[in-house]
Amino acid sequence: MSHNKNARNPLHKPSPFQADTPDMTPEQKEQVHVHNVYQAIAPHFSATRYKPWPIVEEFLKNMPSGSIGADVGCGNGKYIGVNPKLFMVGSDRSSNLVGICSERGHEAMVCDGLALPYRPELFDFAISIAVIHHFTSPERRLAAIEEILRVVRPGAKVLIFVWALEQTGRRDFDKNVQDVFVPWAMTKKGEPTGRAGSRPQRVGRNDQRTTSLTASGLSITESVDQFTIQRDQSQELQIHPSASTLVSTPISTPSLPTASAQEDAYVAAQMMNANVVDPAESATPVFNRYYHLFHKGELEDLVAQTNKASVVQAGYDRDNWWCILKKD
Amino acid sequence: MRLITHNMLQCHVRGCNANNFPLELQEVVLEQEEAEMNEDFLRNMLGKLEYDALVATCHKLDINDLPVTLPEDAQYNEEFLQILHRIILETHVKSGKMVCPNCNHTYSIRDGIPNMLLAEHEV
Repeated sequence: MSHNKNARNPLHKPSPFQADTPDMTPEQKEQVHVHNVYQAIAPHFSATRYKPWPIVEEFLKNMPSGSIGADVGCGNGKYIGVNPKLFMVGSDRSSNLVGICSERGHEAMVCDGLALPYRPELFDFAISIAVIHHFTSPERRLAAIEEILRVVRPGAKVLIFVWALEQTGRRDFDKNVQDVFVPWAMTKKGEPTGRAGSRPQRVGRNDQRTTSLTASGLSITESVDQFTIQRDQSQELQIHPSASTLVSTPISTPSLPTASAQEDAYVAAQMMNANVVDPAESATPVFNRYYHLFHKGELEDLVAQTNKASVVQAGYDRDNWWCILKKD
Repeated sequence: MRLITHNMLQCHVRGCNANNFPLELQEVVLEQEEAEMNEDFLRNMLGKLEYDALVATCHKLDINDLPVTLPEDAQYNEEFLQILHRIILETHVKSGKMVCPNCNHTYSIRDGIPNMLLAEHEV
């Protein structure tokens, strides 16, 4: 397994690097470098995911009242309540993320994107936002799109977002490397530590801005969004996005956990064979999430291969390629 | 899990393609929770519901308010739509299990969340 030298230095933002795991099957790679990672980072991840992306928001707000939709890979469910006139069912591989979703009052279940448990041709629309880039082979990415198309009715629209290889600015990707690990690092802030054990802290219903970040002593540095979350002196959590388009948002903290999130995260990281820095040195577990970075046109090519849908709209937004497809 | 969602689920174990719906609810704990009524949604859902399966499931749960056959004027029958709303949107399964009538695969429901994950060999 490759090691990211930056991960050893908590002052350094971890950089993406080539995913080189010749001994793992696609399924194993997803288990270790996607499912296990999201389970471990769920509350922290959720705290950085509250602002709907405008294209997704517009897609949902334009759906006729009463439409039913599937959110495949719903994460913390941030899109499910965007348009209250719709009925949406979320699903995700991470039971910890689905738990957060459910606490918010959303309909959600744990399942695999390649085996959705729905009756065929049921939904009026579907979304899959930042999900398909986590499948580790071309066949599995194609199968993921086909499975979504199986459960929507003819004429239904499906919105898909995937991470772009060509992204510029905030991240420095090697344009020749499409399969990468993007580290998620947790660094200690010196405050009383919290417990981030197996059960995630839950978030207040219908309040996308209120979160109970369990790891009260942690700050989270993520190379994806360049957010830093930290506990300040007043015990209020602040999110400081480094992107100038976002404003700082105070976040309330309902409960103060007891034990060490650091230790829990470290143990979790060890168990999943993640890239871990010795806790005695800096207590900085680093979780390497697998991504397949899509090149321009690759998503449309996959859609064409299904022979079951056509692309009606496509574009580039926030480091992602996206497209809206219509099922034949 | 609301009862409407149960009406959407089928067994998806590999090779289990017939008689795999509806999943049989067993040992369930139900809870009523108020929700805002959306008639557009209910009318849209009428075309998607497997009504007979819904009625059969409700009977097993001792919910006997639904007429055995879908009323012809269901779309505009206020009283019926209200009953339907209460049953499919306000009735939650908090815990229990769902068993496939064909292959007997069992899916658990905990904290209101169905776990529909399959083992690798079942996908």
